[in-house]
Amino acid sequence: MDEKKNNIQYHKELFDKLGRSASLKKEEECVGCLINPASWWTIEKPNPKPADLKKLISCTCPHYKSASINRDTDCLKIIFKVIQKARETKILTKFTCVHSLHGFIYPIVQGGALYGYIGSCYKKRDVSPQVLDIFAAFTDTIVREIQKELELSKLYETIRPRAIALSTVHTVHRLISSTLDLTELIPRIARLSLQIMRANRCSIKLVDSKRKILLPKATVDLRKKNVMLKKVKVGRHAPGKAFKYGRPIRGRDYLAVPLIDEDTIGVITVYDKIDRKPFSQFDQEIISTLAEQAVIAIKNAQLYKEQERITMGSIKSLAKVLDTRAPGTYVPRASFLKIALLIGQEMHLDADNVKSLEYAAILHDAGEIVVPYELLTKPSKLTGKEYEIVKSHPMAGVELIKHLKALKSVTPIILYHHENYDGTGYPKGLKKEQIPIGARIMAVVSAFEAMITKRPYRTVRKISDAIEEIKKNSGTQFDPKVVSVFLRVIGRKDVQQALEKELYGHK
Amino acid sequence: MDINKLFRSEIHLKIIKFFHENQASIDTPRGVATWVGEERSKVKNALEDLVKAGILAAHRATSTTGYSYTNDDKLISKVRKLLKTGKSA
Repeated sequence: MDEKKNNIQYHKELFDKLGRSASLKKEEECVGCLINPASWWTIEKPNPKPADLKKLISCTCPHYKSASINRDTDCLKIIFKVIQKARETKILTKFTCVHSLHGFIYPIVQGGALYGYIGSCYKKRDVSPQVLDIFAAFTDTIVREIQKELELSKLYETIRPRAIALSTVHTVHRLISSTLDLTELIPRIARLSLQIMRANRCSIKLVDSKRKILLPKATVDLRKKNVMLKKVKVGRHAPGKAFKYGRPIRGRDYLAVPLIDEDTIGVITVYDKIDRKPFSQFDQEIISTLAEQAVIAIKNAQLYKEQERITMGSIKSLAKVLDTRAPGTYVPRASFLKIALLIGQEMHLDADNVKSLEYAAILHDAGEIVVPYELLTKPSKLTGKEYEIVKSHPMAGVELIKHLKALKSVTPIILYHHENYDGTGYPKGLKKEQIPIGARIMAVVSAFEAMITKRPYRTVRKISDAIEEIKKNSGTQFDPKVVSVFLRVIGRKDVQQALEKELYGHK
Repeated sequence: MDINKLFRSEIHLKIIKFFHENQASIDTPRGVATWVGEERSKVKNALEDLVKAGILAAHRATSTTGYSYTNDDKLISKVRKLLKTGKSA
């Protein structure tokens, strides 16, 4: 059916172009000069009916006006017979009418298919075969050119949407490959799916294989602000079936595609196209391609999260071991991690640097393992030699973690977190921006933590006193910009509540 | 941003036409520049103007930004009318 429609459309376009062809008009003028006078016409049907012929031919010959298809002697009847002959032979066919006027019918044939005819009549002299040969050759070239033009435009119309779709797929790939944060990635995939499907709703579910259930991870609905996140049993509804059978499930208003890598990890489902049309095979192909990319991105993010979990686990274990020397000193406290993270975020550090800050918040004094316990807990002033030993702990901390590649970005923070902003700190006496930003942040957070938590060598101070101490040393020991952000962060209600809960056991 | 004013700019109009005709497309400034046959830097600025006007949505990532057509039915109808009349209202 589609092919028939396409043929009709092609036929129409061919004759439209032929009718507008400047080359054909020029050719008719030239040939017309040689066989003057002449009347030209085209018949856009390969198999015209006798009754239609008068409508199809517009001839300027005076005898044509009164011509009838029913009279054997009339030119219309003669032309009809010549058309039938030309249709069979598919070559230019000459004729002479009862008024001794000459004409010819040229069948438009390309690739074995007959499209219609170009005709000419009302010539007082017979036309020489040489002129007709030239006419046939020129017309053939013109028709071929028009056909090529049509084919090119058809090809453009077919390829362009696919090229645009391919470019979309490529852009989507770049957008979803640029994050390893699952909480950001999955809603992003949902929004992009919604966009490329022009759908109203998209839901992404990942499997909980133990419970044979699909858990909703992101649902975006253009029609609602708040959406219900629904679990689906494997095998139930479109998402459950797509997961179970490992193939797309398409209905008029829904399209569910499984997320398959080595195994099936979840399903993307889109619902209700904005233009209310049904989901098509093309939609299915596009969303399936997106699902193939999405599953790789999700797997990468899951692996990254797992690696982070392992790294954090190792760091916490190390802190636990260190803490056995001086209980309560090295164990990570969530509120201080939060303060470090918030300062990093407010100072617009990128995600990797914020993560390094989190690790450093636990490990910054890990090098104290080389400092004898008596020195760490000595309440009186340290001797010069003793102080030199204490000052070696940042380097010892770096030595401790240097084989862990995942912690490479943490080393500058550990090494320089005892540098002072005015250059009076250790180990190198760096000043101002020479000190890495992570280390400047850690200097404030670790000093604050040391003042308000239990230490073997000093009594615990009040939070307000510690804040005053930080302020007092802004510009000398600490970077004033960091102190300013620290004060904003510490002023937050949620931070104060977290601190009080962790230190004093209440909100 | 005045939508009518955007319709009077050739490059903005080309981009609006592209996204209106290819509503499922998401593309980078480089891609859009190819489809509309204009310089990338000019396209990039025009894309941001269209985001401000709400005609396009920006999907921002660290490495690039993808632009797509609005999902707002009313705005799509308005654009359709403006494209049909071929002049700003």
